[in-house]
Amino acid sequence: MAVTVRLPAMLRRGSDTLTITEPVHSIAQLVEALGRIQPDLTARLDDTIFNFAVNDEMLTHGVDHHPIEDGDVVEIVPAISGG
Amino acid sequence: MGIRGRVARLVAELPQEPEYPAQGRTLFVDLATRELQSGYTPRRILETLLSGRGANMFYLYRLLDESLYPLHPDIPLIFGSGILTGIVPSAARGNCTSWAPESGVILDSNCGDYFPSFLRMNGIDHLVLYGTCPQWSVMLIREGQVEWRDGAPYVGLDNIDMRTRVADDLGGVWARNMSMVNVTRAGEHGVLIAGIMGGPKAIYARGGTGAKMGSLRLKAIVTLGHTHEFPTPKPYKPYNRQIAQKLLGTSVVKHALSTMGTPFLYRPSRLLGAMGTKNNQETTWTDALDAEHIGPYRPGMEGCFRCPVNCRPLNDLHTGPGDKYGRGDGPEYVTLGKFGPNLGIDNVEAVIRLNNICNDLGFDTASTGSTIGWALELYQRGIITTAHTGGLELVWGDPALVEKLLFMTAERKGFGNTLADGTRAVEKGHYPPEALKYRMAVKGLMQSDPHDARILKAFALGLAVATRGMDHLRNRVTLEINAKINDDPAFKERLYGGPVSASPTSYVDKERAVRRCENIYAVGDSVGMCRFTTQLFNSPSLPGFEEFSNQIANVTGFELSPAQLDDIGLNVMGVERLINFRLGVRRKDDTLPDRWFDEPNRHGAHKGEHIDRAEFDAMLSRFYDISRLTDEGIPVASWRNELQAALGAS
Repeated sequence: MAVTVRLPAMLRRGSDTLTITEPVHSIAQLVEALGRIQPDLTARLDDTIFNFAVNDEMLTHGVDHHPIEDGDVVEIVPAISGG
Repeated sequence: MGIRGRVARLVAELPQEPEYPAQGRTLFVDLATRELQSGYTPRRILETLLSGRGANMFYLYRLLDESLYPLHPDIPLIFGSGILTGIVPSAARGNCTSWAPESGVILDSNCGDYFPSFLRMNGIDHLVLYGTCPQWSVMLIREGQVEWRDGAPYVGLDNIDMRTRVADDLGGVWARNMSMVNVTRAGEHGVLIAGIMGGPKAIYARGGTGAKMGSLRLKAIVTLGHTHEFPTPKPYKPYNRQIAQKLLGTSVVKHALSTMGTPFLYRPSRLLGAMGTKNNQETTWTDALDAEHIGPYRPGMEGCFRCPVNCRPLNDLHTGPGDKYGRGDGPEYVTLGKFGPNLGIDNVEAVIRLNNICNDLGFDTASTGSTIGWALELYQRGIITTAHTGGLELVWGDPALVEKLLFMTAERKGFGNTLADGTRAVEKGHYPPEALKYRMAVKGLMQSDPHDARILKAFALGLAVATRGMDHLRNRVTLEINAKINDDPAFKERLYGGPVSASPTSYVDKERAVRRCENIYAVGDSVGMCRFTTQLFNSPSLPGFEEFSNQIANVTGFELSPAQLDDIGLNVMGVERLINFRLGVRRKDDTLPDRWFDEPNRHGAHKGEHIDRAEFDAMLSRFYDISRLTDEGIPVASWRNELQAALGAS
């Protein structure tokens, strides 16, 4: 199993990419796994600003149970508005 | 009754003493005779509409003669600062209000930087201008007193040179003791997509403000004077500190606005498949314009008066000191979208340069980018040809062409004369009627935001019902795309005052979210708070009704509960709709461009998504119901009577 996770600059601790190799089947499990690699991420991701995009498709609801498969690329995307 | 009679009647009704110690006067300026009159906004209006945008609507309602036309000198141009402007952190904003020459409906445009705050420092809350200056003039407000300067030496100057010359001539220092609003060549030439500049980038952008001020032959209004604190019934600084802490502690401010500014939104819009591309023919574009690619050109951030956020990115293209457009302020997300994907441009340096040119020429980048995008599509479809364009080949993705068009438009030269008429190009006979099918406008105003709203149904409703035309800053339910909020129904219900569907593509209960956003944003404008730092626009945890209520009490002594402020937000919308009704706006105008009904989205996970006409119409009816509006979109009789009683005779 290998899931690539792209982090925005505000969440990075060095590399902009993390690789999850333990079995994860949903976004919720992925977030738990991220916390085991980079412990502060769990708390920092508990923030309304962050959305997830899976294989370049942004998720806008039903996120926790969204399925994750081997080889997926998951991106954490800060969502704000502009003027 | 002419404008002078209307003003005389109104001034006779106004209090001649302030209603609270920090209140500034409303100054009525007859530009033709230079006669000045003043009074104070009455407490009943402040408690119905607050100040800023709200009280501006009171003055427009009372002074508007709808039998005239927007650029008639008897149609006033009104500047107003919010009730907390210059006093509360991030409340640095003011509104400019009139009858819009670009759209034909209300003109109401908001701006920050320093002018709204410094106007208040000079003891003026509202400035009502009418008549035409006998010759080009500069109005100077020095320590609260009005002086006049010959405007002729400044005619022909755009924003960069104007700011240099005025600072040299008047001896003030920008952002310390001097501020200015001014028109550029585009405003002088009556370009309908030109704004009134309020800083290096800050602009009262929407609705044709530049053309309106230019038609009055008023080149600039300059304030000079020292900043000071305001006398208030109760101390306000301790609570200011709480507000500042709340601002700076909010994730979206800390992680995005203060570091990169609004271009952050480009990426989520693109990933959603909602990035308006090539005049909304497509909805996704290159990652080359993602905010991270602007980073190398961003030497720092700046901000408005006493705002701790500093969300305005500066830029430097490193092209050397001889390149006038090699550095500047911005771009914001709107400009990035309108001059990037909307025009088929994929080069970040090109977009930054076009942004800098627009800031100098005084263009509303939303209307200007949309107007050029519209022309490019018409050319692509053969609806217009080189016979219309003076031989120019209008092709997508050509920054040099766009740059040329901008300079032509500023002086109404060649095809620039067509572009200068913005949405009105068909009405003015430049384009055939068929062109309207591809115009991305509502109520005569091009869309402000580059986001394609076929997917997000609350966003779509907001654009349809916004009183000044197709503009996201009036009511956008921005948090509609935030998954964590969508997945927490109880929290979402508290935010919007009732249940709202978690699915962005659903029509269910979206009217409730739009209503709540429209109310809080109208109040934000009327207190002077920046939209970016008002609750619900970018975050659920930014200052909102509760903070406004507390600080209004400290600053004015008026006890207005959060629920009363919610009602005031509704009132502002209600008065705007009463004015629009006088200008001919009806239910049929609360709609969207045909493209979004008729052409499904072609990209990404939401391929096939469009606006269903029947679902939209039902959602609009529900919006009218919860907004206390009739089937034609004006306040119901009982509420109308209350508002008219407060406003007085029109």
